[in-house]
Amino acid sequence: MKSMLILEDGSLFEGNSIGVAGEKMGEVVLNTSVVGYQESMTDPANAGKILIFTYPLIGNYGVAKKFFESRRSFVNAVIIKEESRMFSNWQAEDSFNNFLKKEKVVAISEVDTRTLAVRIRNGGQMLGILSTKGAKKDVLLKKLNEYKQSLINEATTEKQFYNFLYLKNDFIKLVSTKKIKEINGKSGPKIAILDIGILNSFIKQLRNSGCNILLLPYNTNADKILELKPDGLVIPNGPEEDKAIPGIVTTVQKLLGKIPMMGISTGHELIWLALGGKLQKLKVGHHGSNYPVKSPSSYKGHITVQNHSFIADEDSLKGRDDIKITLRHVNDNSIEEMESKKLKFISTQYYPVSPGSDEVNTAFKKFLNIIKGS
Amino acid sequence: MPKRNDIHRILMIGSGPIVIGQACEFDYSGSQACKALREEGYYTILVNSNPATIMTDPGLADATYIEPLTVETVTEIIKKEKPDAILATLGGQTGLNLAFFLMKEGILEKYGVESIGANVEAISRAEDRELFKKAMQEIGVGMPKSGIATNVEEGIKIGLDIGFPLILRPAYCLGGFGGSTVYNKEELEQSLIKGLEISPVSQVLVEQSVMGWKEIEYEVMRDRVDNVIMITSMENIDPMGVHTGDSIVVAPSQTLTSEEYSRFVNLCKRIIRKIGITGGGANIQFGQNPENGDIVIIEVNPRLSRSSALASKATGFPIARVATKLAVGLTLPEVLNQITGKTTSFFEPTVDYCVFKICRFTFEKFPQSDRVINTSMKAVGEAMSIGRNFKEALQKGIRSTETGRFGLGSDGKDKITDEILRHKSKDLTKEVQDKIRIPNDERFFYIRYGLKMGLSIDEIYELSKIDRWFLDNIKQIVELEEKIKKYRNKNVKSKIKIPQEFLMKAKKYGFSDRQLACLLNSTEKAVRSYRKKQNIKPVYKLVDTCSGEFEAKQPYYYSTYETENESKPSANKKVLILGGGPNRIGQGIEFDYCCCHASYALKEEGIESIMVNCNPETVSTDYDTSDKLYFEPLTIEDVLNIVDVEKPIGAIVQFGGQTPLNIAVPLAKAGLNILGTSPDSIDKAENRKRFQQMLKKLKIIQPENGTATSFKEARKVANRIGYPVVVRPSYVLGGRAMEIVYDDEGLSGFMEKAVEASPERPILIDKFLEDAIEVDVDAIADGERCVIGGIMEHIEQAGIHSGDSAMVLPPHSLGKDIIETIKKNTYAMAKELNVIGLMNIQYAVKNNVVYVLEVNPRASRTVPFVSKAIGVPLAKLATKTMLGKTLQDLGFTKEKEINHVAVKESVFPFIRFPGVDAILGPEMKSTGEVMGIDSTFGAAYIKSQIAAGQNLPTSGTVFISVNNQDKRNVVFIAKKLADLGFKITATSGTADALMKNDIEVQVLPKLHEGRPNIIDFIKDSKVDLIINTPSGKITKADEVKIRSHAILYSVPLITTISGAQASVNGIENLIKKPKMNIKSLQEYHKDIKNIYDK
Repeated sequence: MKSMLILEDGSLFEGNSIGVAGEKMGEVVLNTSVVGYQESMTDPANAGKILIFTYPLIGNYGVAKKFFESRRSFVNAVIIKEESRMFSNWQAEDSFNNFLKKEKVVAISEVDTRTLAVRIRNGGQMLGILSTKGAKKDVLLKKLNEYKQSLINEATTEKQFYNFLYLKNDFIKLVSTKKIKEINGKSGPKIAILDIGILNSFIKQLRNSGCNILLLPYNTNADKILELKPDGLVIPNGPEEDKAIPGIVTTVQKLLGKIPMMGISTGHELIWLALGGKLQKLKVGHHGSNYPVKSPSSYKGHITVQNHSFIADEDSLKGRDDIKITLRHVNDNSIEEMESKKLKFISTQYYPVSPGSDEVNTAFKKFLNIIKGS
Repeated sequence: MPKRNDIHRILMIGSGPIVIGQACEFDYSGSQACKALREEGYYTILVNSNPATIMTDPGLADATYIEPLTVETVTEIIKKEKPDAILATLGGQTGLNLAFFLMKEGILEKYGVESIGANVEAISRAEDRELFKKAMQEIGVGMPKSGIATNVEEGIKIGLDIGFPLILRPAYCLGGFGGSTVYNKEELEQSLIKGLEISPVSQVLVEQSVMGWKEIEYEVMRDRVDNVIMITSMENIDPMGVHTGDSIVVAPSQTLTSEEYSRFVNLCKRIIRKIGITGGGANIQFGQNPENGDIVIIEVNPRLSRSSALASKATGFPIARVATKLAVGLTLPEVLNQITGKTTSFFEPTVDYCVFKICRFTFEKFPQSDRVINTSMKAVGEAMSIGRNFKEALQKGIRSTETGRFGLGSDGKDKITDEILRHKSKDLTKEVQDKIRIPNDERFFYIRYGLKMGLSIDEIYELSKIDRWFLDNIKQIVELEEKIKKYRNKNVKSKIKIPQEFLMKAKKYGFSDRQLACLLNSTEKAVRSYRKKQNIKPVYKLVDTCSGEFEAKQPYYYSTYETENESKPSANKKVLILGGGPNRIGQGIEFDYCCCHASYALKEEGIESIMVNCNPETVSTDYDTSDKLYFEPLTIEDVLNIVDVEKPIGAIVQFGGQTPLNIAVPLAKAGLNILGTSPDSIDKAENRKRFQQMLKKLKIIQPENGTATSFKEARKVANRIGYPVVVRPSYVLGGRAMEIVYDDEGLSGFMEKAVEASPERPILIDKFLEDAIEVDVDAIADGERCVIGGIMEHIEQAGIHSGDSAMVLPPHSLGKDIIETIKKNTYAMAKELNVIGLMNIQYAVKNNVVYVLEVNPRASRTVPFVSKAIGVPLAKLATKTMLGKTLQDLGFTKEKEINHVAVKESVFPFIRFPGVDAILGPEMKSTGEVMGIDSTFGAAYIKSQIAAGQNLPTSGTVFISVNNQDKRNVVFIAKKLADLGFKITATSGTADALMKNDIEVQVLPKLHEGRPNIIDFIKDSKVDLIINTPSGKITKADEVKIRSHAILYSVPLITTISGAQASVNGIENLIKKPKMNIKSLQEYHKDIKNIYDK
């Protein structure tokens, strides 16, 4: 079935429907990794997005249960160049195509994703509408504009504060756990995770460090969290532009300094907001696995996985001697990691994925040290 | 951290001549390194014995030494140039080994030279099998079960403990040289003996075979503050058991999950840290069990390698440049990513295409050798292709190898037709299965046959262990082929009726117009015009290191069939340079050198240069060599597609060897302007009849000759001019299928082969001038004036291919009158052919008569050699003449006179092809060349021999066994050797001749007569030099055995009398003046200018 994607700027890309049929709208986001399609689609931070994989061959190694990063795929749609008709890997349990169908993902293939990526790079991240139903371009474009209007928050004060455009998105609620979940570990500390979309990989690393885990619904308030007496709190990755954000910022504000805290990606942005800072949206976000970060005082750094469209706006928060910037992005100099002894937190804009399947990322180790020290 | 300012002068070691396992990739890395060092302001000293490289161009380093790569020579250079540091990681295994020995012998310490890029500990940990194993154990990296053997008994014990099959790897050997797989005790013992002998440190690793496992490679870099990045992953399609240099490789890896990918990355980081590379790159090879994901490490190369060149071209990330900057102390965040122009080199390239590397073999040159490929590398070159999917990259890749194929079959060249395949005879099934099971250069074609015969993916997987994902992609190509055939016309002239959408799909699957023409029963031209009418044209996409995330500043393109073209042609005047494609015997780095010079000349003239080439090892495919780079196959279709987009004012076809010349005429017919000498003139020189007419007109003599298209005709010609005759096809390079035949029987045999080499063109038959002196001339002309660059006298007599012969410049035995005749004839032919650009002429001189053998109105293999000897960049000047400049304009109006002597010597791959007779003939067999340069012939010759690895002795025992014809001439040589103090041994026939002339000789029995014979002497290191000339038409089995043992045991071997004479001359020089003079090219060139000024 001939399908098409239309961007806000009216550009049109054709392809073939390969997932379930449908019509989907959302922000169009690039992912430049050459592997990890399943992980990316099940990353709750990508909820509601139309995801483009710039690597042209997708599905080569199939899918497997163990590679789910959350309970399901939350993306609105997926756009790829070529779907592999056969998968080959000893771990594979099913094909990419069956995965799309089971996860009810609208997807198109045979798209000139390179041209699409260049368009996004030049025009910035934008909304798109994807239809596998053979609708007319004008009709779809009109729908897309209406959708955009419906997302834009009229309350200009909030918009200015957060720099959010699409504050009516409601994905955090969707991705979060509905009730408190306990995952018992060994004798380690008790870590609460405010689940706005945490990855299974991060939970695994905490468990590898012996932590006992409490998974909390996104709207658990500060008092309730204090009542549970966790040794530390993780504000993880998750959807960035969302209705739920202002509420969570308040919660974080109340808890900063009271419990050792770790922010990851969106969680890092939330801590920044809670400190009184503002965010700034990148023309094209960082979505991939090849982003360099380094210490501001040396040449030493590492390559990180990232998945975010916002960064801390440093002009909005100055003179905070109690916060130390420990890593910056090598190319655009944005904050990648910050720590505060006084406020007992560490936060990373990047994803602190483990260097190896059985190892723990330094950022987690630092967090556990903060807990030990307090 | 800023670059180091405690070092100022840096010595770089190149990789020497092109050999199997070490090709142009080290010119690419060395040139980048030279540029990078000078960019940082360091005084750069370079030593390399290979004159055909861009790196040895006098402009690239401050002091360039074309000298043998030995500890002695480099020590002299160190004494003279006083470098602070040595950079040894860019000159391949040769450079690394040399640096390692300089360290071990304490020379670096003595002269205060620091090794940068990799220190002795790092090199040892990666190269020394024992240390490596220990290091890997310490960081928990799995290895195949193995043990190190330093003698045969030890090796057998280790082997029996591990169990068969086993892989043996001699330590410190390049290109998997000497590596073998053994299946039983007997083979183990044989391979151990051989391996211990060829390993420079007498160590062999005996290892559990992981044949059939996936082979995965990573290119990793690390700087001095411990930043580590992965450049790319690569997956070898041929599983373990085939040397990675012979494997078909795809980048990035296609069948690894994200988790597995991370696991490899993590291992790579641990490994590069443990090895201790503190400013450079490494190539890390793993094996992975496809059934359970188990990983073992195979090896680490702590240096730039063939794979790193491939990774550079595959991603756009200039590994050599960055590695050099890291070696001088910069960190990754400080080195700019030139491709984006605004981000740093501290990132990991990500791609949005599929890269395919395929090897070029030359089994046809060594008919006695097996076509089987294994753990010892045999490929002489490689091509890379880029596509938006695997199928497209695969078919483009096959096209790029220039083996006469236009994709994966269905191009009219299939060995087994569909008709035969349908019958599925038992024998055929077995043949196809065997060819799929045992790795060989045609395996992909046999997989196609297998699929057509109905073999399932699983069956083919079980036979080949090639991942099912790749097999299924091949199957998709085969399935589409069947569908395309449904639109086949009965009549060639009928209109093509394949629907637009379907044709587009075929193009997306990489089908060439030629394949489509075969499938549709049409012509390439008709398919092309139909396709264009349907508006199906390729678009060009950028290689940008970042999958489009940042704008690319470097115009590096590949074609695909999609919607948007990213190559925006400028309004500038521009010229297309057609490169030489993959290296092969007869066409290698020399032509890439010329293409690069064409590009430099265009830049100087303010004309946009557009390079088209598909060889990832080369300097020409560096993104900063030309204004635009198209990484594309060199076929008519692919070139015309670029022409359609770029609309250049013309194309340069005379620099890329035979590759562009073969397509010049059709390109010109399609409207492309060929710059310089016209295709008609080229034809005049290549077409025997027209050439003869020209010579008649100019009163130039050629050996008696004729042409033929059948054996009958050929016999008539041969009987007219008299045997022996040289037979060859027209329009070939490297003497492909060229032979000297002595009688009708020989002629009939060789006619068959020759006809196969060039079906559309006649066979050339020449009178063979026995014992003539051959002469090569490289000249340049502007249509009016012709200036000779160099006249080179061959050391070996006529009948040895000019590419294999040693040559000396200036000639050392030709009289003034002969040289005058050669000059006069050269000028006359240049004028008559209206040559604009370069021209190469081969002459033969016999009894004071000058014969012309052939004229090639194009760049020859010797252009870089001559350019370096005389200090004039001939290829650059030639480019300018093609653009309309006169030689007068360029200030090159007179021949240069030099007061030094330059000798070119060839190097041969015999050791890679066991069982192949190591003799020279009219078919070219050498892979590369070296240059020896000094003030006298003897000194220059000995340098060339040492550089080529021919370690001529100064004392000891010489074994002489020559054919009857040579017996008279060998007397003088033997006498001289005896006078120099050598002990002479010979077989009875030769000994008789020598004894009659009062030379003391020890007589050795012939092989079947008794022992100890010469073979025992060779094995026991009791002989230091062998002079053995082949006995004519039918070589005796004994001789072949002697020669192949000499090769195997590295005893210097000379197979011609003239070569022996020159060698004795060199030995005498070596005895009298044991200390080698060293002098930089810049110094030589300064002296030439001085003579010229006078």
